[in-house]
Amino acid sequence: MDDLPEKVQKLIKELDEAAEDEDLDKIEELTQILLKTGADVEAITLEKLSLLVMEGEEEMTQGWTRVAIQAGLNPFKTLIEGLAKGMSLIGAKYEKGEAFVPQLLIASSAMYGGMDLLNPYLKQEENTASKPLTVVIGTVEGDVHDIGKNIVKTLLSANGFNCVDLGNDVPASRFIEAAKENRATAISMSTLMTTTMAEMPKVIKMLEKEGMRDKLLVMVGGAPITTKYASQIGADASPNDASSAASWLKSSVSNYPSESARWD
Amino acid sequence: MVAEMTSKERVLAMLNRKQVDRVPVVTGSTMVKEYIEKSGGIWPDYHSNPEMMVNTAGLMHTDAGLDNVVVPFGMFIESHAVNLEVKMGRIDIQPSVRSFFSKPEDVKYDNFLEDKYVKTTLAAIKLAKEKFSDAAVTAFLVAPVTLAGDLMGAENLSVLSIKCLQKEKQMQKMKNWISVALEINRIYARACVEAGADILYYSDASASPNLVMPEFYYEVAVPAEKEIGDFVHSLGCPWELHICGNTTPIVEGMAATGANCLSIEQAVKMSEATKIAGDVPVIGNITPLLMVEGSKEQITEAVRNALDGGAKASMLGCGTPPLSTSDRLKTWVQAVADWSAENL
Repeated sequence: MDDLPEKVQKLIKELDEAAEDEDLDKIEELTQILLKTGADVEAITLEKLSLLVMEGEEEMTQGWTRVAIQAGLNPFKTLIEGLAKGMSLIGAKYEKGEAFVPQLLIASSAMYGGMDLLNPYLKQEENTASKPLTVVIGTVEGDVHDIGKNIVKTLLSANGFNCVDLGNDVPASRFIEAAKENRATAISMSTLMTTTMAEMPKVIKMLEKEGMRDKLLVMVGGAPITTKYASQIGADASPNDASSAASWLKSSVSNYPSESARWD
Repeated sequence: MVAEMTSKERVLAMLNRKQVDRVPVVTGSTMVKEYIEKSGGIWPDYHSNPEMMVNTAGLMHTDAGLDNVVVPFGMFIESHAVNLEVKMGRIDIQPSVRSFFSKPEDVKYDNFLEDKYVKTTLAAIKLAKEKFSDAAVTAFLVAPVTLAGDLMGAENLSVLSIKCLQKEKQMQKMKNWISVALEINRIYARACVEAGADILYYSDASASPNLVMPEFYYEVAVPAEKEIGDFVHSLGCPWELHICGNTTPIVEGMAATGANCLSIEQAVKMSEATKIAGDVPVIGNITPLLMVEGSKEQITEAVRNALDGGAKASMLGCGTPPLSTSDRLKTWVQAVADWSAENL
């Protein structure tokens, strides 16, 4: 943004301050002035949103989401190329060991803060959008740790998946019921503890017993889970982190049979 | 050549940085299903029945050959005693904390020592001392950051751990939570030492870089752990510090807490941790799952890697999995004895 005219840079700074102060009138007034400068407001706003989500600046993310709405930007583009992109950026940093869990959590709050404002506009366009694929996600029975699971959910949502979140301490049978009810494309299970890992194969065996194993993909993850373990228990993948989980699932579903081909 | 030691002498010598006759083998939690069944324990009674608890924990010493006897069986006692909701798990799943407070002032701990599980722990320590006087009787306790996380909710801890580094007001909020946790820690530590515990084993799982920033660990967690550690030392008792996850960035801080030894998990390279920790003994870091499904060769290799890396005691990287088998536990102990015979 350094190459923008000085006047535009000054306006962006003032918008930052108004967003931080949650001064809605000022945001509206400054957005109108920014639009009149002839600057590429869409490019500026999307870049601001992605950076603010990455930095976990919730109030400022909400402020700039208001800019996007008032400037009439496409809400889906704002979500994907602004808010969700920021989440992917911090996810990629985490993958490289350059960020920590608290940074993912505050980025996630910032993204959801912006999404809350965008939601009414997203719903208006829902009918024209293709139906998102469903992932049933939860932490296995006996384990109440769900921070990792929540981060995976955030990144899956950011990548366009509809997540049915079963929470933590989820009995094996609940995964099966939810997958059936929602005609799921994938089940994502996590556990932080070695003591509860044995719940994962239980779910996979139940899927086989119910004749559902071929209808969906199974991802397993969490601190003690290795690729070797995932393959031993018959899971499809054990991505290293939330960001890899989202990329793996996105690429895996690209050539996957349609929901109706699998479930009807 | 050091004369043959009892298990207790061996562990205490290690903690005091003295020579040992063989490398000690210790554990942090001992809720092993096979031993519960073998000793006639009934779920969930063994959490509140000192005799059942000690009979199960004692088999880790008398049958498997470990050098310590550890009680209680999970990290829920402190939370239960301040009226948080606890789900008791199953015979193969440890209890877990299911609720949290919205502000530190809501935490009431005046009757902490009246809690049934606290009383069980204290009675179990006394009983273990009577029954296994040759073993190092160890109390398994929740360290301050993790306890603060149980009190406020783990996700809130994680978020506050970054916000408190940015804003003084948030730092004050964090310090208020830690201060309550430390008060509870002190009450429980004193009672455990008075009951006769030889060692206090503190798990600060939530102080891990997996959950909080390393900067937070150095600025907030180290002083808190040091404060409770100094208090334990003032009672004349040694203490151990365990933190899960890849703790490589915080080992230096762990060593600065004054803990008598540092327990690390398999995500950390033992040789690197021992190098950073300097004179402070580091113990660990056998993959716990090997006790459930590892082969003799795999267990032996993991033991040797840790000891070759400078570990001063052999320990699993985290709690002993409930589905561990006695034959694998014995293989572990034997592998340590063999390494000791060759190297000490």
